[in-house]
Amino acid sequence: MSVRIETIRECLEGIIPGHIATCDAEGMPNLAYLSQVQFIDNEHVALSYQFFNRTRQNVLAGSPVRLLLTSHLSGAQYRLTLRYLRTETAGPLFEQMKAKLAGIASHTGMSDVFRLLGSDVYRILGIEQVPGPTVPPPPPPVNYLTALRRATQRLAGCGTLECLLETALDCLGDEFGIGHVMLLMHDDGRGRLYTLASRGYPESGIGSEIPVGAGVIGICARERTPIRIGFMTSEYAYGRTVRDSIAADGDADALETAIPLPGLPDARSQLAVPITAFDRLTGVLYVESIADLHFGYDDEDALVAFAAQLGLAIQHHQQAEELAEEPLSSENAAPVVAGSPLAVRHFGATDSVFLDDDYLIKGVAGAILWALLTDFVERRRTSFTNKGLRVDSRIRLPGVSDNLEARLVLLQRRLEERDAGIHLAKTGRGRFSLAVDRPLRLLEGG
Amino acid sequence: MLDSDNIAFIQSGVSISLAACGPDRLASMSRGMGCKVLDGGRRVGVFVKRSQSAELLENIRRSGKVANVFSLPSSNRTVQLKGVDAQVQPFDPADFSIVEAHAADFVAEVLPLGLPEEVVRTLFACAAEDLATVVYSPCAAFSQTPGPKAGEPLGGAR
Repeated sequence: MSVRIETIRECLEGIIPGHIATCDAEGMPNLAYLSQVQFIDNEHVALSYQFFNRTRQNVLAGSPVRLLLTSHLSGAQYRLTLRYLRTETAGPLFEQMKAKLAGIASHTGMSDVFRLLGSDVYRILGIEQVPGPTVPPPPPPVNYLTALRRATQRLAGCGTLECLLETALDCLGDEFGIGHVMLLMHDDGRGRLYTLASRGYPESGIGSEIPVGAGVIGICARERTPIRIGFMTSEYAYGRTVRDSIAADGDADALETAIPLPGLPDARSQLAVPITAFDRLTGVLYVESIADLHFGYDDEDALVAFAAQLGLAIQHHQQAEELAEEPLSSENAAPVVAGSPLAVRHFGATDSVFLDDDYLIKGVAGAILWALLTDFVERRRTSFTNKGLRVDSRIRLPGVSDNLEARLVLLQRRLEERDAGIHLAKTGRGRFSLAVDRPLRLLEGG
Repeated sequence: MLDSDNIAFIQSGVSISLAACGPDRLASMSRGMGCKVLDGGRRVGVFVKRSQSAELLENIRRSGKVANVFSLPSSNRTVQLKGVDAQVQPFDPADFSIVEAHAADFVAEVLPLGLPEEVVRTLFACAAEDLATVVYSPCAAFSQTPGPKAGEPLGGAR
C-alpha cells in the first residue's frame, strides 16, 4: 500500500465530504456522499450506515467499494479500494461514530434525518493518491510527540497523587495548549464519575457527578473508548444528558446535581478519553473547545497515550499510599478552639454530610469525613492513615478498586473550596492530619 | 429528461462526481470540473481531468454506464443521474469558460462554510489540454438529498 491511512486522517473528518462509488450486478455504478469515515487502524475503516439505500444494497450484494477522499488542508485527493467485512450495531466503534454523527447532523441541520443504524467495517485493499496539484498544509498547532514526551516526563516527577493530578492538568494546558479540562474518577460501586480536578472554568465543579453512560464523558466511561465530537450537539450536551440519565435511573436524588458540573455551555468540540490501568477504568479525561472541529485524530491519539501513562501513575500512587506504615502513636491531641460551633449533619443512608445545612459531600468521601470528625470530637484525634481507613468498618470501602486516595483528595478539595474551617493536610505517605478552626457539633440524621 | 430547475441546479456551484465500473465491478470516480446541458436536457456533458481519470475513462469506454452526482454543499440538495450511453469526447476549448465559471461558483459556495480558498482553487486548477468531456443521456434521475425522499426518482424523470 503506497499511502498509509494514518497519514491522511484529516480526509476522514468530512470537512470536504468523501464520495463512495459502488456497482450493481448489471454493472451500473452508483455514487453517494459520505458524512464520515471512521479510522480504525491502518487496514480498516468504518462507514456510517444510516439509510438502506442503493449503496448499501450494492455493498450487501458483494460490490467492491471505492472512496474518493479530499484533504481540506492540501487539496490532495485519494482513491481507496475497500471490501466490506461486517456491520457493528453496538460497542465502542458504534458509539464513537454515533456521537460524531450527532455533531455532524446538528451542524448540517440534519438532526432529524441522520441516525446511525450501524457501523460498516471495511478492509482497506489499497490507497492511491490522485494526480494533481496540492498546496503545502499549514503546520499543525502542536507537535504532539514533543508535547507527549514533555508531559509524561513531568508526570514521572510527581511524588503524590495530588501532585500528579495537578501536573496532568497543567500539562494539558502548557504542553498541549488545551484550555478547558476536567478529570473525573470512576466510582465503580455507584456507576458514577466524580470530578476531581478541572482547569479553565469559573467554578471548579469538584465533586460534581456524571452517571456512567450519560453524555460524551459517560459514554466514554461505559465503552472505555475515546468519544470525540466536532460540532455542538444538544444530544450529547452534559447538562441535559445528566438530568435525563438520573431521571431514567429512577433514583432521582437532588444531591446528584447539588454540585454543578463545570463545562462550557457552548462547547462545539468535545473529546473524552478513558483513563484505565490493568484493564480497570480509573476515570475519564475530558477536554473541550468553543471552536468547531478543534480536536482531531492526532489530539485523540496523544491524549489516549497520555491517559495511559496517567492511569498507571494514578494506580502506582494509590498503592504507594496504602503500603505506608502506621505512624507511631505520638500524635498531638487537637488544640481547643473557640467560636460559634459548626453544625455537621450526617445522613447514614447516603453518607451525605451537610455543614450548617449546606451540602458538602456524600458517598464514600462523606463516610470518611464523618468517621474522621467523630474520632476528632470523641477522642481529640488528629492523625489518620489510609491503612486505618481501609480497615475502618464505619466507612465500608467497596474494595480494592475504591480509589481511596482519590476520594481523600476529593474530600480535601471540597473542604478547601467551602472554606468551612475543616482542613485535611497530608503529613506523609499514606498519612494525613485533621484540623478545625471552630468547635464542631455533630448531628446524626435529620 | 431534466426540468429547468434541475438543469439550472446541476450547472450551479455544485460538487460534481462521475463514476463508472470496471469488469470486476470496481468503480472509479473523478471530480467533475463543471458540466453543460445539451439538447434541452436530453444529454449532459461533464468535464473531467484526463490525468486524474484514466481508470474512469477506460471504464466508460468499455461499458458506457455512468453515475453522476451533483450536490450543493450549503443545502445538501443532491441529484444523481444515470446513463448507459456515455462517450468520452475531446474537450472543446470553447467550453473552458464554463469550467472557469464553475470553479468560481464553487469557491463562492464553499468559502462561507470555512474551506480555505487556496485549497478549493487547487482542486479546480486545470488546463484545457488535460480535460475530456463525458457526454451521456440521463436515463434515470434521483433525488439524493438526505432525508425521507432520498432515492426517489426526480419528478419528470424516466
